[in-house]
Amino acid sequence: MSRAWVWAPVLAALAAPSVLASSDSTAAIPRLTRQVTAAVRAQRVEAPVAVNVTGASAELRRAVSTLLASQLASAGLAPVVLEAPTAEAAEAQARAQGARTLMRISLDIEGGELRARGDVLGTWVNFWSGRTPTRPARPAATVVETVPADAAVLALALEAGGTTPPVPTETPLQGIRLMGATLATLEHPLAALAAGDLDGDGREEVVALTEHDVSVFDASGRLIARKALEALPAASATTREPFGALAILPGPPRVAAWSTRHAHGELLALDKARGTLRTVGTVDQAPLGAVERGSFVPGQTAFAPTVTLAEGRSLTVPAPFTTASLEAQRMLFVHPDGSAAYYAHAGASPLRWSNLGAGSALGDLNGDGVPELITTSPQLAPSPDRVRVFATTGDDPGTHEPLWQGALPTGRALYVVTANLDGDKRHEVIVGLWKPDGTSELFLLRQGAP
Amino acid sequence: MRLRSTLACVALLASASAQAAGRPRYGGELRVAHGGPPEIGEPALADTPLEATLLGLLTRPVCQDTRDEGAVPALARQLSRPTAQALQLTLPSATSAQGLARAWMRLASNEGASPYRALLHAVRGEARQLTPRGAVLELPLSYPWPDLERALCHPALAPPVSATPVGPFTAAGRGALEAQLAWPQGRPYLDRLQLTATDQRGLSRLWSSRQVQVELGVASETDSVAGTALYATFLAFSPRRLPADFRQAVESAIDREDLTRLFVQAPAQPMPHLLPPALLDAPGRPRPAAPPATPSRTVTLLYDASVEDQRAVAERIQVKLHDRGYTVALEALSRAALRARWAKGDFELMLHALLLPPVPGPALAVVLEAGGRRDLLGVELPAIGALPAATARDARARERALALAGSVPLVPLYAQGLGMRFAPDVGGVMMDAQGLPSLDGLYVLPAEGAALGGRP
Repeated sequence: MSRAWVWAPVLAALAAPSVLASSDSTAAIPRLTRQVTAAVRAQRVEAPVAVNVTGASAELRRAVSTLLASQLASAGLAPVVLEAPTAEAAEAQARAQGARTLMRISLDIEGGELRARGDVLGTWVNFWSGRTPTRPARPAATVVETVPADAAVLALALEAGGTTPPVPTETPLQGIRLMGATLATLEHPLAALAAGDLDGDGREEVVALTEHDVSVFDASGRLIARKALEALPAASATTREPFGALAILPGPPRVAAWSTRHAHGELLALDKARGTLRTVGTVDQAPLGAVERGSFVPGQTAFAPTVTLAEGRSLTVPAPFTTASLEAQRMLFVHPDGSAAYYAHAGASPLRWSNLGAGSALGDLNGDGVPELITTSPQLAPSPDRVRVFATTGDDPGTHEPLWQGALPTGRALYVVTANLDGDKRHEVIVGLWKPDGTSELFLLRQGAP
Repeated sequence: MRLRSTLACVALLASASAQAAGRPRYGGELRVAHGGPPEIGEPALADTPLEATLLGLLTRPVCQDTRDEGAVPALARQLSRPTAQALQLTLPSATSAQGLARAWMRLASNEGASPYRALLHAVRGEARQLTPRGAVLELPLSYPWPDLERALCHPALAPPVSATPVGPFTAAGRGALEAQLAWPQGRPYLDRLQLTATDQRGLSRLWSSRQVQVELGVASETDSVAGTALYATFLAFSPRRLPADFRQAVESAIDREDLTRLFVQAPAQPMPHLLPPALLDAPGRPRPAAPPATPSRTVTLLYDASVEDQRAVAERIQVKLHDRGYTVALEALSRAALRARWAKGDFELMLHALLLPPVPGPALAVVLEAGGRRDLLGVELPAIGALPAATARDARARERALALAGSVPLVPLYAQGLGMRFAPDVGGVMMDAQGLPSLDGLYVLPAEGAALGGRP
């Protein structure tokens, strides 16, 4: 992974003042540092204030320290940033540098949240204490502040140089450990999700379909373009739940989108300069992949079993399916009951897999050239839903322990795609969640530092 | 926002562990028993919560009230406001638009004899003349009435069942209903519902023997779910035919708590004001003293023969008013006959039960109409509708309901909801803001570890 990309979302934000103004109020790190600064100010601390941040990656620590120091300086607290290896060393350094207050916080990213935990203490030493480093009674406070993580946090949390992080105990073989953050939110429930390189820059965009529109997001979750679908004619038999098909077609790259709310779909081309999606045709077959086509079961959130593959070849899978994932020659079709048909290559006999969720995808997460299976919980309404990663080399993955699994934010996780957002060999995972309030969330999972 | 995202899920999580790959499964049949009539009449008369629920399987109003104070399309594909003073409805077809316009014009006319016509009061000409343009029905307003959309979601404003499907199911004979694939909001998950009409004993028997998976109209308070109590029963009286102190006589004689607890089918609540406690939660005034004794007089109390507990309530009122010098004769009528007598003002006393909308303004409109104070609609509703904020309109309607209580010849008695039971293998139980279950959203949960291999 290129180091340049790690900083790309941050640099992009800095390079675009108009964006910065709006994103500053919602971006995770500025929000967190504002909250921490407010918590410190509430303690009526005395300047200078020494700041020591530990945990997470060096880049994330530095980014938080920088913004925190800026916030504290604006508040007239004359910050001093320390880089002490331990809490005790930080206290000694703070006294040595003449600070009157020390803030020690550690960072962690868990469950899609960026959290700062620590304490605030006084470092002034009473004259009568002599050489003994006594502490004053005040200030003395705890700090626990949490904000939803975002794509910039995940980018900064990557190990320096994009190296694989230390192997955690739960994933001893493949070294998959994913960290999650909200990539983007949508006003309506998702109907389909896809990813592909629409602008030819080597990095894939994320495309989301709702009953109302198609939206394209970049790697940092910024909305690039949106196209309303309201003008399309209504379908004669729609589905109760939003459902549809979405695929990126090659040469030139186009988005094929069809919501079951409408009688047909649209073929859209991205005009990045203008930030628009332009209609270039209609879609009358459900797009399952670059060349693969299917058809909806009328009124149901499922596709009919017959699929048209490249060169007009036909494939009939064992039953209607709710999800299709096509990765190189491999094909996965998830049925409504949580079973799936997996084809190792076109023409192969299907393997029957079990215990898959509606959100399932094949994607190479560790860069070894073999795709993993990423799947949500097979239950109807699990709380919380979980995302699981399995190897695809053996038999039915559903009968094995996952390589990695983690809880997802609140909501129904019905969509999973993998995307190469940074141009390296490893794919990121995007989970589409229906939120209880009728909105949707795109939740990004990528390899990261513990 | 679509209905699915805004309704409250009551029992979905009960069986959430069943394997279904994150989505409800299609197909199957549910057996539903209910304590209502085997046949349901026209929407304006099918206004008990149970009848409205059953009718809602075959015909739906243009929209459905949501719990977040909004309205989502049901029969209509779209509701929009081209201007603040006009509402535009886009129906699935020109035929359904014409059918709806005819139904509303009939309801709005005197011939309709329905208190629910008050829901259309804000429409220019009080909706007596509506002309759709193709599938579009435009409703120009006489005065600002932001709550019109939510008022139009009332089940009484659904078009009558006809050859053109206007609900999520279609009748297939012998109590069977089949899913309508072309329902604008998406076909029901189930393929079929099998309805059985029975009485309370029959409901208990069918439930205990597990012969049904859904029961509607359950009086038992154990293992049951209750919808919001918006079915309000009033004692309507004719001020022209009764003495001025009649209200005082009734209020002094009747204990609402006692009446609700002992004579009314659960779930029910005493209703001390013109609006049910779900819309107006304020303590009732103390019971007044009995008026001075007067010579005995005979009055007739009309009640709805099809509502089981109205007879018990009528008899209780008969006993209590006897203590105040009234000899009350009871007369049971069909609901249609009762409404016709109400429309003509041909009654002395009447038990008048109404399914009130879940919004205070439109609910007050129906109550004023039912109380024979149509003259107040043109005064009260524009003042409420002029307030842009929904909370301000609701507050104003509640305030006016309290202020007008003495001038509307209705004595509020109690409000009821719909009692229901669902078997553990039934998923997707949701209640709308009207307190009615959305049966088209039900599905059969697969058994734990169910067989794999495709669709059920």
